Amino acid sequence: MPAVVEAIDLHRTYRTTTGTFRRRSLEVDAVRGVSFAIEEGELFGLLGPNGAGKTTTIKMLITLLIPTSGQARVLGKDVVEDAHWVRERIGYVFGGDRGLYERLSALDNLRYFAELYGVDPRRQRARIGELLELVGLEGREKERVEGYSRGMRQRLHIARGLLHDPPVLFLDEPTIGVDPVGARELRATIAGLKAAGKTVLLTTHYMFEADALCDRIAVVAKGRIVAEGTPRDLKGRVSEGVVVEIEVYGIEDARVESLRAIEGVTSVAVEDRDQAQVVVVQAGAGHEPTHAVLGRLDGVSLGRVTTREPTLEDAYVALVTEQPVAADG
Amino acid sequence: MAEPRERQVTRVARALLVGFGLHLKMMTRSSFDGLLGVLWPLFFATIAFFMFRAGASGESLVFASFGAAVMGIWSSTSTSAGSAMQRERWHGTLELLVCAPVHFATVLLPVTVAMSAIGLYSMTATLLLSRFAFGVDLPFEEPFALGLALVVTVVSIGSLGFLLAVSFVRYRTAWALGNLLEYPVWLIAGFLVPLTLLPSWVRPFSWALAPTWGVDAIREAATGASPWPELIACLGLGAAYLAIGIAVLETVLRSARRAGSLALA
Amino acid sequence: MSVRVFFVGGLLSFRALFSFLRPEVYVPSMLVAPIFQILLFVYIGRSAGIESDEFFVIGNAVQYAAIPCLFAMMFTIAGERFQQTLGYILVSPAPRLPLFLGRAVPVVVNGFFVAAFSLVVGGLIVGIDVPGRSYAPLALATLICAFSCTGLGLVGAGIGLLFREQAVLANIMFGILLLFTGANVPVDELPGWMEAVSNVLPFTHGIDAARRIADGASLSDVFDSLAAELAIGVVSGAVGYLFIRNAERLSRQHATLDRA
Repeated sequence: MPAVVEAIDLHRTYRTTTGTFRRRSLEVDAVRGVSFAIEEGELFGLLGPNGAGKTTTIKMLITLLIPTSGQARVLGKDVVEDAHWVRERIGYVFGGDRGLYERLSALDNLRYFAELYGVDPRRQRARIGELLELVGLEGREKERVEGYSRGMRQRLHIARGLLHDPPVLFLDEPTIGVDPVGARELRATIAGLKAAGKTVLLTTHYMFEADALCDRIAVVAKGRIVAEGTPRDLKGRVSEGVVVEIEVYGIEDARVESLRAIEGVTSVAVEDRDQAQVVVVQAGAGHEPTHAVLGRLDGVSLGRVTTREPTLEDAYVALVTEQPVAADG
Repeated sequence: MAEPRERQVTRVARALLVGFGLHLKMMTRSSFDGLLGVLWPLFFATIAFFMFRAGASGESLVFASFGAAVMGIWSSTSTSAGSAMQRERWHGTLELLVCAPVHFATVLLPVTVAMSAIGLYSMTATLLLSRFAFGVDLPFEEPFALGLALVVTVVSIGSLGFLLAVSFVRYRTAWALGNLLEYPVWLIAGFLVPLTLLPSWVRPFSWALAPTWGVDAIREAATGASPWPELIACLGLGAAYLAIGIAVLETVLRSARRAGSLALA
Repeated sequence: MSVRVFFVGGLLSFRALFSFLRPEVYVPSMLVAPIFQILLFVYIGRSAGIESDEFFVIGNAVQYAAIPCLFAMMFTIAGERFQQTLGYILVSPAPRLPLFLGRAVPVVVNGFFVAAFSLVVGGLIVGIDVPGRSYAPLALATLICAFSCTGLGLVGAGIGLLFREQAVLANIMFGILLLFTGANVPVDELPGWMEAVSNVLPFTHGIDAARRIADGASLSDVFDSLAAELAIGVVSGAVGYLFIRNAERLSRQHATLDRA
């Protein structure tokens, strides 16, 4: 069974200019060789922090960006050569406040896109009605979008993306900035899409969201896939081992580096929490780094020290920070 | 399986009409811009009416009235069309429009024609000013031909706006360029200045502008003469702008997809 | 202290004008557009059979100074509000008047330059005849007009602090100046009430003086017109300044000052 969505060694480089008087041209490698394949009916997640290249990847797949190199195929057709064919069969939904006409009602917005996306005129009214009900906006469709909350806009986006009943959906951070209750409803709707047989590519930086919704996840950092597998696989990568968290009040980079050198330590990250910083040290199975760590932190003001088992979030943090912090393009 | 030809044609026609209606709705709901869109040409019309009334030439106020009435249609188009794509980018809708499985011209043309159609408000205000503030006896001989002339003028100017929209898409200061086009077209399209008064080398430029033929057709229809040759010229130019615009559009979109300039960030 | 505030304040707002100074904006809006306005009305004048080419060249070249004077003044003030520095300036211990005057100077200079440029270039293109000894008096008249319109710009800036639609307001003011000041319609062709308004607006007296100078009048001949123009500038500047100060107080009550 051929994959529904294929990314084959996709690369994407941007050229940007900086400065007003002496314009310098910079090359940014946003995507550096991303490959994956999504099967029919799968809900596939692209998980990664901001700037990882998720949005760039999705835009290449939906025909908005031409890859610098590599290939992308949807339903067997190349996205560059057969862009029109692909566009008829995909839906694109993105997060945020924009992407809708503020001065028009939700209904008018849907009518407009229904027309543009080729929904049969005789079916438009019924289809719009169905979708409004699906996303829970029925009764509010005559209101202007400018009065909508973020969550409502997101739901309207999903309705819009589904108008022409595409078999493949691309959702780019659909729950970003939505309140927790609204986000939960949105996730239920997304789960429902999979149940309806759609193939979905979801990008997100919420690890728990990827865990809850996705059949498979690819973790993206700095333009590359650093891990791929089911949520269970990814959790398995860190289920053995230990995490030590130490509260510190100011720590220099050199100290942090020295911690990395401890035997058995797989990752060291420093997080800001309230008044202090927390150094999070992960170590592989069989190692107990607490003493060594505390030894190297001699002289640093310390607060609480806790030891615990790793969670999926730790796996994620380890994966996305593992890359050396070299000069970005 | 490709769509049957006639289904494609109806689809495009519907998309054009629905797009036009909804964009017109949106523009009508923008109160302050709308106010200025009506007031601005009215200032110029008022000045022109005073000048013609006090003047010694034979040019009638009727000539000036119809000319001034079309000035607003050009203004609303020239000042907004250049930044049409920029505005869609701001709304975040440009990507969705490019992603749509229709030719982008089907999406953009209704926007620019709506911009021209908004000028009808200022046209009405100008004619009312002429009739009631200056007491001009405006003829309305051939209502059907006049209505047709209005439609053809609006659509052709909209088509010119389409050409502007695709040509200026690369410029961040498209609005400055668009503003710059307001006065020159007012000057050479025969609104308030008969073409015979302009230097002869200017006339080919005037003839290449759809508004020139449009305003001529409107005057002819209003005064009972035959507007058909002018209407055909106007429509023909409109079609030419569309064709050129579509050609430019192909390159623009391809280039945008290559450079990644469709989104804002 | 006042002098320094005058100069430093002026230089800072000059940078606020920076957006205007970008060539891709400045050239079309400040240098090319007025030439077309001149040509437009010269030809409408010929079409209507009224006055002379020189009438319209001078009228429109001077009137067009309204664009830099009104817009630049209003946007300087609005720009400060946008950057949220206006509140700071208005409560600063530095004497306010020199601060504002400092901000006005680059606007006046730019306005004068634009009008002078249009007058020279427009005059050359259309082909008008101005005696050499009239150049300096003409320049003076133009400068005074730029000054008085900048005063109006301060009034506009004050009104603009209370409302958000600056550009619409500025455009309407431009239209009013185009219609009422005799730039294109001789003032005596206007109905009585309009003529009355003309007399208190910037440009009306200055344009009249400029036209007479171009016809050979000396400075002493046009002295009272220029004095009237200057007075209008001073009065509107004062009104504008007071307006801005009061707008500040009102806005602090209603918290509208720092709304972008």
